[in-house]
Order: sequence, then C-alpha cells, then structure tokens
Amino acid sequence: MMNTEHSLSAILPMQIVMITGMLVLLLDSCIPAWRNAKILSPGLSLIGVGIAFLSSLHILNNPPVGKLFGGAITADPFSQACSIILLITAALAILIAMTYLENMDLNHGEYYCLVLFSTSGAMIMASALDLIVLFIAVEILSVALYVLAGFARTKVRSEEAALKYFLLGAFAAGFLLYGIALIYGGSGFIGLNPTTNLAVIGKSLSMISQPPAMMIMGLGLLLVGLGFKAGLVPFHMWTPDVYEGAPTSVTAYMAAAAKIGAFAAILRVLNAFIPISGYWLIVIEVIAVLTMFGGNILALTQDNVKRMLAYSSIAHAGYLLVAVAAACNSGSKQSILQQATAHSSAFGAAAFYLLSYSLTTIGAFGVLIWLSKRGRDIQTLNDLKGLARTDPAAAYTMLIFMLSLGGIPPTMGFMGKWFIFNATMQSGQTWLALLLGVASIISIYYYLHVVWVMCFQEPEEGTHSVRAESANGVQTSIYVAVGSTLLFGILPNLVQPLMDAASSLLRP
Amino acid sequence: MAITTQHYLILSAILFTIGVIGVLIKRNPIVIFMCIELMLNAVNLSFVALGRHYGQINGQMYVIFALAVAAAEVSVGLGIIVAIFRSRETIDINEVNLMKF
Repeated sequence: MMNTEHSLSAILPMQIVMITGMLVLLLDSCIPAWRNAKILSPGLSLIGVGIAFLSSLHILNNPPVGKLFGGAITADPFSQACSIILLITAALAILIAMTYLENMDLNHGEYYCLVLFSTSGAMIMASALDLIVLFIAVEILSVALYVLAGFARTKVRSEEAALKYFLLGAFAAGFLLYGIALIYGGSGFIGLNPTTNLAVIGKSLSMISQPPAMMIMGLGLLLVGLGFKAGLVPFHMWTPDVYEGAPTSVTAYMAAAAKIGAFAAILRVLNAFIPISGYWLIVIEVIAVLTMFGGNILALTQDNVKRMLAYSSIAHAGYLLVAVAAACNSGSKQSILQQATAHSSAFGAAAFYLLSYSLTTIGAFGVLIWLSKRGRDIQTLNDLKGLARTDPAAAYTMLIFMLSLGGIPPTMGFMGKWFIFNATMQSGQTWLALLLGVASIISIYYYLHVVWVMCFQEPEEGTHSVRAESANGVQTSIYVAVGSTLLFGILPNLVQPLMDAASSLLRP
Repeated sequence: MAITTQHYLILSAILFTIGVIGVLIKRNPIVIFMCIELMLNAVNLSFVALGRHYGQINGQMYVIFALAVAAAEVSVGLGIIVAIFRSRETIDINEVNLMKF
C-alpha cells in the first residue's frame, strides 16, 4: 500500500491537471451560472495549472526514490523539466484562448478541459518509461487535440482540419503500436524476461553486440509513429493543413504542446537505444537535415501566415532533431568523458530550445489573435500590411517573435540555436552543425519578409485592425512571452536549472 | 502442420499491410477508418501471440489497453465524420479538401 501512495504522489502534477480538467467539465455542464460567467472556467484551469507547476517544481527538487508503478512511470528531473515547459505552455494557451474564443463566439468551457487533458497526456509522454504507457499517453494527447482542431464546428476548414488530423493521427498510432509489439517481441531474445520497459531494454542492449532484427524493425515503426506526432519531414503532410484550418488558439497550443511531448518521448526512447545507435543514427541525421531544409524551403513561398508558421514549426522540429542526433552520437573517436559531456549538453540544449520555441510560437500566434476581428481570423500577409503604423505595439512584439524564430540575437531563439550548434560540434558532427547554420540562414528570409510587410508597406484602405473588447488574456500572454524571450535571450543562465534537470538523463 | 507463433506473426504482418494499403488508396473516411482498425487489430494479434509464446500475461494486458484506446478513438472519429456530413452532405476525402499548397 505504501508503495502505491509513493507512486501516486510522484505523478501529482499530472493528476492535478487531469482532475482540474474534469472539474471544469463538470462545473461547466452542471451549473448554468458557472457557464454564463465566462471567466470562471479559464480561471479555474489557470489555478490548476499553477498548482501543478508548483508540485512539479517540488518533485524536481525532491526526486522520488525507487520504482514507481513497477517501473512503468518515472518522475526523474528530465520528465519534470518537460512538465514545467508544458505547464507554462498550457497557461499561455489558456490566456490567449480566452480572447480568441470570445472573438469567435466559441466560448465553451469544454475547450479548457480539453486543453488540460491533452497537457496531462503530454506530461505522461515525458514521464513514460514503459512503451505501452507511452502509447496511452500519446493517445490522451491526440484524442483531445483532434476534438480541439474541430472546435469551430460550424467552420468547414476547422472540420476538415479535424478530419485530416484524426485520420493521419490514428494511422500513425497504428505504426506506433506495431513498433511497440515488435520491440516487445524482440526483447524476448536479449533479456531474461520480454518487456516493453525502456530502462530494462537499454540495460540489456548495452550488454549484447548484435540486436535482434525484430527490435530494429520495431524501433523504426515506433519512430514513424512519433515522427508523425512531431511533424518530421517525410511525415509532415498534415501539419500545414491542420495548422491553417484549426482555430488559431488551438494551433498555437498544438504547435507547442504536441512538439514538446513528442520530442520528450523521442529523446527518452532513443536514449534507451543508444547502445545500438550504429543502426539508426544515420536515419535520424538524414531526417533532421530533410526536416530543416524541407520546412524552411516550403515556408519561403507561403503568403498565409498560419501556413508559414506551420512550415516554420516543421523546420524547428528539424533543429530539435539535430539536438537528438547530437545526444545519441556515440562515435568511437571520442573518449567516454567527451561522449558524456556532449550527451548532457545536447539534452540541455533540447530543453532550452523547446522552451524558447514554445514561448515564441505561442507569442506569434497570440499576436495574430490579438489582431483578429470579431468573427474573422488574420490569415494572410496582406492583413499585416503596414501594421507598424496602425498598431505599433502588435507590430513590434511580432517583430521580436520573428527575430527569435529566425535565431537573431538578443533573443531566446538565438541562444537556443547556439546551444544546439555547440552540442553538435562537441559530439563531433561538424557537418550537421554547419547544415543547421545554413538552414537558419534560409529561414531568416521569410521571417524578415513578415517584418518588411509590417514595417515598410502601406496599410490597405479600410483595414484598421479592431481590437477585441477585452483582450486582457492575449495581451498578458504576449507580454509574458516577449519578456521571457528577451530576458532569457540576454541572460540564458536563468534557465540553467531547467537545462541541468533535462541533462541529468543518463546514457544506459 | 502445427501452427506456431511465427504463423501468427506473419498473419498479423499481412493484416497490417492490408490495413496500410487500404488507408492509402480508399477515399471514404469510414472505410479508411475501418482499415486503421484493421491495423490496430493486427497488432493486437501480434501481442497475444507473443504473450502466449513467452508464457507472459503482459501481451494480453497490452491488448486490453489498445482496445480501450481504439474505442475512444472511434467515438471521437465518428463524431468528427458526423459533424462534417451535417455541414457538407458528403464525406468524400477528395471533396473535403479546401486547403492545398
């Protein structure tokens, strides 16, 4: 009994988020007065996220000892670092949703409960040590996101986005599950007991020379499944359509949270498979290069801002995958100590980049929401023409987000790319680091194009942006995002505890 | 000829492939969805066969998890399809395609 309580207290942050979600759903559907007071559901959600944040910080400082749930879940510092980034994302997403939903007449409490459910799913993805728990976590995240993508039920594009996301997501889930089955089968050849536990698999893999073919196939299928979720290049087809069609507040949340969850899972899974990295590292490197260049080149031609940000998010997934490749590179040329240093700095870089990417993406979509008129979204670059004159505050915050996405100092995006570049150099993959630099230079063109349209073009006649009557939610969120993008860009040491926590994940 | 674990695994691989091909060539979301279910159930067959082969209960347990998740997916997916049919009177994938490059 003692053991169960111990386990339950270690997953307290996820439980708090989930229970808050259920409470919001119940109160919203049972009490009409609650439903009419539009502020209560997001308020309660924010309180829940805040408590979960504190609880996560507490667990980070006092990590639980021993196995939790028989080793199926872990509460190590890496999982808590990812949870903290996710909870920040969720809080910002709830704030921008308050304004957006009111603008679009979609103000239903279910929205917040779905955001909370998917956040808890992503948090479990970061903590799952057993592959079947990972599968369930992926589904908790995805099923809530399918509904969110179709949240604007009367808009055909939103419905279409939901259908596409759902069909491709379920398709990917099939690959993910088949990969798990094959890894389960393959683990019977190497250990004493067949298992899907990553810690056990990692340990037994480090003791053998030739892994079973079934396990390699399983890992491949698992990566296809996770690659779909993260939007890596051969599996990215859904990203632009879904990001464009889904309500903007959902796109902002989805772009950040799904990516954090997917990369936390990719990092943890591949970390366990490092002993056999000779079989798959080259695949990861190739996908990373394809993703960086594919995303950036496709983004060049877009004139729809949401679509451009979707392609840019693909490119950012590529940069993150470079960090993954750096973390998993165990080249024979290096000493054990060098390998360990490169491993931990790559994990720290990935965590920093995830935080910077989430803050900036949510901020950029937040500016679009800030500008959206009642019942109408900002979609194309034309809508942003001459924004610096009609609405300077929005234009200059957008400018900072674009600089950060493009990786120009003194923003957080620059520091993130610099950390990844450094880690890749340390791990001895110079060519990958150089390609990362080239891809970033390509991306600067289309980010600066947005800035050029905003600052140096005349506003079109009669397109005065009308702000929402109560834009407090989105404004708070944007200012927090801008503030931290600049602050952490200038003083990245402030994020050091988070990076240390993420880099404490050891090689098997 | 005795039926061994290998036979089950091969059958499951064939079923999975049929499911994948179906998803790629069919145009009706409901049929695509049935193919996805076929994929998931093919995996379930693998799990059960492997669990029996190793004499472990884990395989069967994973199937229960997978079934529960698939049921949740069905309910959400059919909901989305019904919502689309209500607003467009068609669910053909070629027509539900406003957004392109």
